[in-house]
Formats: sequence, structure tokens, C-alpha cells
Amino acid sequence: MNRAIGVMTEDLGGLALFVKDVFLTALRTRSNARPLVAQVALVSFRSLPTVAFAGLFVGAILVLQFNLILSRYDAQIFLGGLNTSAVIREVGPLIISFLLAGKVGAYTAAELGTMRVTEQVDAIRCLGTDPLQYLVLPRFLAIILSSLLLLTLSLMIGIAGSVVVAQLLCGINPLQYVTAIPRFLNPAIFAAALLKCGLYGFIVAAVSCHQGYTARNGARGVGQAVTRAAIYTNLYIIFAQFIASPTLNWMLGAAQ
Amino acid sequence: MIRFEGVTKAFGGRKILDDFSFEVGKGEILFLLGKSGMGKSVTLKHIVGLLKPDWGRVFVDDIEVSCLDEARLGPVRRKCGMVFQHPALLDSLTVRENVAFGLRAPEWTEARALERVRETLGLVHLGPELLDRLPAELSYGMQKRVSLARTLAPGPDTLLFDEPTTGLDPITTTAVNALIHDLSRNLHVTSLVVSHDMESALKLADRILVLDQGRILALGTPQDIERSPEPLVQDFLSEALERRRTR
Ligand SMILES: Nc1ncnc2c1ncn2[C@@H]1O[C@H](COP(=O)(O)OP(=O)(O)O)[C@@H](O)[C@H]1O
Ligand SMILES: [Mg+2]
Repeated sequence: MNRAIGVMTEDLGGLALFVKDVFLTALRTRSNARPLVAQVALVSFRSLPTVAFAGLFVGAILVLQFNLILSRYDAQIFLGGLNTSAVIREVGPLIISFLLAGKVGAYTAAELGTMRVTEQVDAIRCLGTDPLQYLVLPRFLAIILSSLLLLTLSLMIGIAGSVVVAQLLCGINPLQYVTAIPRFLNPAIFAAALLKCGLYGFIVAAVSCHQGYTARNGARGVGQAVTRAAIYTNLYIIFAQFIASPTLNWMLGAAQ
Repeated sequence: MIRFEGVTKAFGGRKILDDFSFEVGKGEILFLLGKSGMGKSVTLKHIVGLLKPDWGRVFVDDIEVSCLDEARLGPVRRKCGMVFQHPALLDSLTVRENVAFGLRAPEWTEARALERVRETLGLVHLGPELLDRLPAELSYGMQKRVSLARTLAPGPDTLLFDEPTTGLDPITTTAVNALIHDLSRNLHVTSLVVSHDMESALKLADRILVLDQGRILALGTPQDIERSPEPLVQDFLSEALERRRTR
């Protein structure tokens, strides 16, 4: 246990330096939008079904749960607001970014890790190209952008799906459900949710690129990088949620 | 010309190279032999600045590479081509794009680069029909030759080979060895070849260096090495003899 924490803090230091290097590389890179858009499209398209599926069921599970409680107090008119709030504030971004960590994150760590242990990264450097710029930066940015895209999309699917589930399984009128939403949510909360999604996308990008890029010791090392990428991403996201949720809530409260 | 002066390198407290000094002369073929994990690849990576020594200095043609930063290593890396142990080709690029990867300086127009790609593929006995193939469609031996062509394309005058014939069939091994020989003799390319193949070393090398526990165990011409009393060197020699006999 102690060792695991030791390894993780060591990796956290390495992660910070890695992110700094990627950031400095980004500053001196002339933007080249076309390959980036292609990469974003690829990543998003590959994960869309998984994420949509998850969004739908996160919404559905919460609807059933809240309906059970609210119906006991005859307060089902609040269902739409309460459910949407829970989906976009806390549970949705968390669960869906876990899925992204398992899918996009693991894929990226495996891809970069394989390139590292088969000496492709060294070969690129020897041929006069910066591998951070050529291999890491496009993936890093693409993961952030497509995570943002996927999270937003799946939250929307989650909300829309909840309306249907509420009607079919709980007998709530869709109009009643939807009119309850503004009572719990305002645009600032949606903005805060987007901000969170961007933050989690950044964590997925940073951790998976870092683990892949620093993989060592052949195929076993790649396996290790993939496992660590998935686990660390999830842990960092939970921790980020723990910090970000109260902070954002406090800021929203202060703004009102 | 390559020169190591008292190079020491440790990873996590384990000394891989320990006060290691040697020199490869202009146009010479030096074979660096040693058991697996003895720091042969680490030695090569010091020459192109992928690793920095903890102590000591590394020179390429009187340029001290061990003190250059990433930006100033460019010219050294153009001069010193490294052939990696893995083919290390980029999976998403075609053979043509892989071989042309180092030809992106402004003086390489597209037409000149393509010309050069064909030329270097010819050197490793690969035809132009492979130009638009992806690495995954080639055999391992072919991938290794494409990788060699990629290193040769910018026209380096020093070549570093990391186990160039490991995992290759005997015919390709002979072809690669012949290529190392020809490059050195015809174009005066300086070659440092990392290997554990004593048989190839005895045939090709001007001098052979056996590295063990971070230090030089034996260094000399093939004739010197054949007379070495060191048990490890004798092991390498008898293994080479064995292989020659079984063929
Ligand atoms: N970047 C690195 N970080 C930590 N250890 C390394 C690194 N590169 C090589 N090593 C270690 O140094 C030793 C020698 O490696 P290497 O030079 O690859 O051996 P070989 O002689 O088989 O080519 C190995 O034990 C390897 O684990
Ligand atoms: Mg090696």
C-alpha cells in the first residue's frame, strides 16, 4: 500500500513535468487544424456508442431511484429538475469520464507505449523531429476536445433519455418533467458542468499520454502503462471532482 | 570518428557503464559484443544524445555531444545514423513516407526525396513496388531493411547498428553484413556495430570490443580476440564455431 502511494506520487511529479513540456511544445507549434480535426473526429466516433449508451443508462438509473423517493413524498413534480441536476452536476461527468479513461485513455497509452518500447520515439528524435510535437501533442489536444464533445453529448443523451424513461416507467408527463428543470438549474450550472468535462478530458489526456510516452521494458511495460493510465486517471478524476464540485458550487453561490 | 572518455552511466544505482573509454576511427568497423543487458544499446544512445553520461565525455568528430542540448544535437544526428534493434517504423506511414522521414529539410524537394528513397531502397535490395505499402504488410526482415534505408537516406557518414542481424534469416543476415562492409569500404562510413554474433564480427570487424560489467573485457583485431584467454570471449568464440559447424 505504501509502495503504491510512493509510485503514484513519483508519477505525479513526472506527470507535472510532462504536462509542462507538452505545454511549452504547444506554445512553439504552429497550429495545424486539419490533422487535429481528423484526430478528434476519429477519437469521438470510436467512443460515441459506448459513451451514448452509458449516458442513457446513467440518466435512467437515477430517474428510477429519485422517482422511488419522491413518489413517497408525493413530490414527483420535482423529478425532472432533481434528476437533471444530479446527472450533469455529479454523476454524469464522473461515470462517463471513467469510461473515457478505460477506452480513449487505455488506447492512447497502449499506442504511445508501443511506439516507445519499439524505439519509434527514439527513431523519430534521431531523424530530427520532436516526438512530443509529432506524436504527443496532436493526441493530447484531440483527447481533450473529443472528451469535451463526448461528455457534452452523452449528458444531453442522458437528459433526453431520462425524459423518456420517466414517462415510460414512472408515468411522468414529459412536459411536467421538462418544466421542472429550470427550477433546479441555470446556465451557469451548465457552464460549470462543461468546465468540469474539460478538466476531466485534460486529466485523461495528460495521464494516458504520460504513461504511454514513458513506458519501458517491452510488452510487459506497455501493459503496465495501460493499467496505470486507467487507474490513475480514475483516481485523479475522483479527486478532481472532490475539489471541483464544492469550489464550483461555492463560486456559483457567490455569483448569485 | 567516435570517442568515449571515461563514461559512467548508472540507472537506479546500478552502474551500466563504468569508466568506459574507447575510440572508433574514421572508416573503421568496430564490433561491440556483450551479453544481453550489458549496456550495448545504452552505449549507442550516448552517441546520438538520447542518453547523457553521469560522468565522462562522448565525442563525434571532435564535437562533444555529451554537453549538447536537444536543439544543437540536430547536426550530430544527421551525421550519425542509428539503426535501431526494432525496425521502429511508423505504422501509419507508408514505406516511402518512412524512408523519407529524415528528408524534410528545405533542400529536399519532393522529387529529390523520392529519388533518394528509391536509391536507398535499392541499396538494401528492396524494389520500388514496396513504396506504397504499410509496414504491417511487410515481413520482419523487410521491415528491418526499410528501417536501414531510412537511416541511410540522409547520407550519414557514421552508422550505429544495434543488433542489425538479430532475428533475421541467414540469407538476409549475409546481405546486411555485406552492406555494412560495402558502406565502410566504398563510402568510408565509420561503423559501430552492436551484436552478440561473434561469427559476423570475426568476418567483418577491423576491431572487436567485448563489453562486460560496464568495462572492456577484450579489445583488438579479430586475430587478437581469437587468442584471448578470457572465458566469456572463449564462450562467444565457441558458440560462433558451433553455429558454423551446424550449418
Ligand atoms: N532509460 C533507461 N532507464 C532505466 N534503465 C535502463 C534504461 N535504458 C537501459 N536501462 C537498463 O540498462 C541495462 C542495459 O541495457 P541495454 O543497453 O539495453 O542492454 P543491451 O546490452 O542488451 O543492449 C538494462 O538492464 C536496462 O534495463
Ligand atoms: Mg540492446
